[in-house]
Amino acid sequence: MAVSESNIVAKKNEVIHSYEMNMFHQKSHFWGRMTVGLVILLTISLPLYLSFVLSIHPGWQPIITGLIAYAAAIGYAWFMEPISYYPTLGISGTYQAFLTGNIANMCLPSAAAAQNAVGAEPGTKKGEIVAALAIGATSLMNMAILIFIIVSGSYLVSIIPESIQGTFIYIVPAIFGGIFAQFALKKPLYGGIALSVGLFVNLIPIPTFFKGIICIILTIIICISLEKRK
Amino acid sequence: MEEAIKIASHPVVWIISLTVIGVVIFQGIKFIQMAMKTRESVGLSKQDVNSALKVGMINAIGPSFGIVVVAVSLITLLGDPLTLMRIGIIGSAATESMGANLAATAYGTELGSDSFTAEAFATVAWVLCIGGCGWLLFVFFFTKSLANIERKVSNKQQTTAGKLPIMMIVSSAAMLAVFGNFVAGEIFKGVETAIVALTAATTMLIVSFIANKSHQLKFLHEWSLGVSIIVGLTVSYFVL
Repeated sequence: MAVSESNIVAKKNEVIHSYEMNMFHQKSHFWGRMTVGLVILLTISLPLYLSFVLSIHPGWQPIITGLIAYAAAIGYAWFMEPISYYPTLGISGTYQAFLTGNIANMCLPSAAAAQNAVGAEPGTKKGEIVAALAIGATSLMNMAILIFIIVSGSYLVSIIPESIQGTFIYIVPAIFGGIFAQFALKKPLYGGIALSVGLFVNLIPIPTFFKGIICIILTIIICISLEKRK
Repeated sequence: MEEAIKIASHPVVWIISLTVIGVVIFQGIKFIQMAMKTRESVGLSKQDVNSALKVGMINAIGPSFGIVVVAVSLITLLGDPLTLMRIGIIGSAATESMGANLAATAYGTELGSDSFTAEAFATVAWVLCIGGCGWLLFVFFFTKSLANIERKVSNKQQTTAGKLPIMMIVSSAAMLAVFGNFVAGEIFKGVETAIVALTAATTMLIVSFIANKSHQLKFLHEWSLGVSIIVGLTVSYFVL
């Protein structure tokens, strides 16, 4: 009897846990859409105000020309990035990262580093909650730093010697190298595959915007088929 | 140029920018609260939560400085509020500075030139704000669809490949693929970026190795990315 009772308790806990996770997802959709929607409206109101309230309308032609150039250069990223980052960001991470921006250079590395520090796997419920916490903290910290520097009239940046500022362009490659190594250490086989595929897609002449998604798809296919053979 | 800067710092532009920042701050706090409420059901201790928050904060510092350097160079051209709103938050430093250049060119001028009028500034605002909504609109409308696809994939009979759940393989492989592609890109970009990326990667391996040595050194995991960035930059400073 004792055994079946503890079974019932375990079942009950499992139900409660998946209920709580569902609640988390539902709330993520609600608050995510609410905040993203608000920011969309605010963002659009800015140029509308300039053009039609302050009447400094530049005319539609330069606006449309500019937008076409912008869309041609990175319009693919509008849907390619949310799709490719979804498997790692999850529901909550997607709403957070795309609102706070700087995803590849800040949000994803933070989420990955936090999952590593806590020992949570990406793609699990634990991993998703850890990512939500880390991206939230990153976003708040990033804003605190930016606001502080802008309020201080960029004074802080002006006292950093130019020779040191010159190294700041290497922050991004350093983040990429560090995060890749951190993950590759945990899954050396996947790491080897991902880097080989990455080198391959960067060598063959395909448009830049396809490289990311092709690399992801190929790596996932190869990793899954290798796991199946094990 | 003066006229453009005056418009760029118009009180209403400031109000819109600060409201956007307010919404982003609200979202950050809200999601942290929601995650904290769910922590027990996914087996996270209070310590884990603190650790995750701490890692998030530490790892914002490096990237934030990278963003700030780009932002500061654009503030003199686009003013505080638009720069803060588009380059610091929502967008990314690289994309938005490119967008600003494209928009100025479309108006027939250049950022920072004498012919950069208030109208030219308005063109930049239109392009950055409308162009930047692409991501937000997609996320607003389609995150639910992505979640549904994910659920269907994991509800299919075959949820494992070998011993591992498919979603875990997909997430790990996707993460490594994203950064594998970026690292490969940096390797081909030039000797300098290749050396920095490799130095940071090596540093990460060493720090992680030391951190795994004993339980007392586990805290190093929280600092490993920061240390890797600093060592990478130091090497670029002295060697390149």
